[in-house]
Amino acid sequence: MRNARWVVALALVVSMTVGMSGCGAQGTQGDSKTAEPIKLGAVLSLTGTYAALGTAEKQALELESARINKSGGIDGHPIELVIEDDATDEAKAVAAASKLIEQDEVVAILGATGTGQSMAIRGDVDRAQVPQISMAGGTAITQQFDANVFQTPWSNTIVVPFVLDAIKKSGVSQIALITDTGGYGKDGKPIIEASAAELGLKIVANETFNPGDTDMTAQLTKIRASGAKAVLLWTAGKEATTIMKNAQGLGMRDGATAVPFFGGSGQARLEFGEGSGDAAEGFTFGTGKSLVSTNWGPDSEEFKVVSDFAKRYEAAYGQAPDIFAGHAFDAFLIVVNALKAAGPDADGAAIRDAIEATNGLVGFAGTFTYSATDHNGLTTEDLSLYRFAGGMWEPAE
Amino acid sequence: MSSRRARAIVIVISTLTIALLPLVVQDRFLLKIFTFVGLNALVVVGISLLFGYAGQVSLGHAGFVGLGAYTAAFLVARLDLPWLLAMVAAGLVTALGGMVLAVPSLRLKGHYLAMATLGFGELMTLGFKEADFVTGGVNGFSGVPFPSVGALVLDTPQQLYWLVWSVVGVALLLAGNIVASRPGRAMRALHGSELGAQASGVDVVGVKVRAFVLSATFAGLSGALYASIVGFISPSLFTTAASVTFLAMAVIGGSNSLAGPLLSVVLLTLLEYLDALVPGISRTTAEVIQAYQADIYGLAIIAVILFAPSGLAGMWRRTRSTV
Repeated sequence: MRNARWVVALALVVSMTVGMSGCGAQGTQGDSKTAEPIKLGAVLSLTGTYAALGTAEKQALELESARINKSGGIDGHPIELVIEDDATDEAKAVAAASKLIEQDEVVAILGATGTGQSMAIRGDVDRAQVPQISMAGGTAITQQFDANVFQTPWSNTIVVPFVLDAIKKSGVSQIALITDTGGYGKDGKPIIEASAAELGLKIVANETFNPGDTDMTAQLTKIRASGAKAVLLWTAGKEATTIMKNAQGLGMRDGATAVPFFGGSGQARLEFGEGSGDAAEGFTFGTGKSLVSTNWGPDSEEFKVVSDFAKRYEAAYGQAPDIFAGHAFDAFLIVVNALKAAGPDADGAAIRDAIEATNGLVGFAGTFTYSATDHNGLTTEDLSLYRFAGGMWEPAE
Repeated sequence: MSSRRARAIVIVISTLTIALLPLVVQDRFLLKIFTFVGLNALVVVGISLLFGYAGQVSLGHAGFVGLGAYTAAFLVARLDLPWLLAMVAAGLVTALGGMVLAVPSLRLKGHYLAMATLGFGELMTLGFKEADFVTGGVNGFSGVPFPSVGALVLDTPQQLYWLVWSVVGVALLLAGNIVASRPGRAMRALHGSELGAQASGVDVVGVKVRAFVLSATFAGLSGALYASIVGFISPSLFTTAASVTFLAMAVIGGSNSLAGPLLSVVLLTLLEYLDALVPGISRTTAEVIQAYQADIYGLAIIAVILFAPSGLAGMWRRTRSTV
């Protein structure tokens, strides 16, 4: 009886080992058979905090790869998109990137959705020498420079000087700053401080708040007393609405004590305008021109690219693309453009070189020109000012 | 067949299976997953000593994993120290950390100890986030080189797998010897009744401190190895959620056993990577399992507590005694 049990156990171990060797062999077979398609990996947050962003990105990537493949792919080689969900979690992002690189053997990775996840997969990307094109806006992604990592959204390094310049042009020299201690505000704060000093703007109040705070009256009272002639709000969080309402309560939004408020890409969210109501009336922020495609002028190439994409996206999904879908569109466009230059058989390193050579490529976010020192590729030329009116943004000029 | 011989056969077969796996498995990602299994095993062996044998709860062990990871990463990547030295340093630093955490355990028991260790874990996470001059803050620490000894660089998935599992092997030998000898009996006595153990002349303070130090060191080594194998670490990898997962693995594995927790580490870690392991599995099935992973752990713990209080190890013991 006991002997029989051991025989069964042994058989199980053996079958397990054989089973594994089986799937190992299958993997190698698969590689030789599927040498034809070009494999691109994507690490997206399809669940978790950034699910809405990741889902929009997934839709954009699938839309674009289907379009490329319909028109013959890259020199006849179709693109095979392998999408992995990182659940807005760094550890899962690492596992996903590792799977894409080592099991699927992709030649490039699009992603991740969030800054943290984008930073987390860097180790794998560097070791495998494949390029990574992140769709997250964190400055760290390109500031902490990595030869293999590129970025598609407008980063704080260009949005901050653009907005500060607009403040200066409005005739203000003393500003107050209020930032969140989470990702976006923390990322922006040192850049704002350095950039303001460069432009000769004096920061007379420098306040912060924590994500989740429900009352910012104390910070705003200090700002009101500081004599600041404009307030710069830097956050992507929902607390921005509370700040505007608190400011209204303190009489900072209308009448004799009114102070103009400014912000960045973090305010390019519909719920900010809707939630704040008249408290955000006149709020000015800077972000990509493509937020309103007519900004580009009806005859420009940018307008054509942005509105074509919007048309296709709406036809496929019944909704207009948001900026996150646009950033994914750009990531895909950049890789495809590099693949066309490097050829369908190019390895990760060759594709990386081709991406770095991207010059004047018109995408959703603007015109991308990467270089050995700039992996964000966008400039203040790609930005525009907007103003909230009646709960919705409109071009400020 | 005597139970001792059966045990020996199981050990030999599993050792051979683990040692020879890289010769059979060609898929590099699968090997990486099995390497991760080894890293988790190292942590859980330590927790088994602490929790399964000595009966001390820790909800902050991911803090030790992180401490080891950042120590090794900083020494190797920023100060250019030899990898082996960094490993030793990571072990020492986490041992010291274990000693610090042992202090509250001398006064606190049960829920209160769990709370204290939980606080420790949270403090560590906060420290990893805020000490950005060492840790790189929330953006993480990248560019940790592969393990190397002199000119020998271990950079293939096979080498890394063997490296990790050799360390696990040494840890298991050490733990096996401890539990089979006087310190192990002292731990079990402590688990049974602290007062009773004390009355029987067990140095309760010493046992607790040693259990904490040893399990912290194992966790720290696991973190240090993780840092050099993956090359990137960030605070979100060492959160309370990870601590709970480690403890869950030890609980499901069963107390007073090393084999049970080891088996549960293998099963629960592989669950996370189901889609990569089972070629034909549908994407949605894998996604559902991954989305409910925490719930599966939770249900497994409840099931264990209700139906098999001594875990996988206890179930095994029971079936054997009824045959």
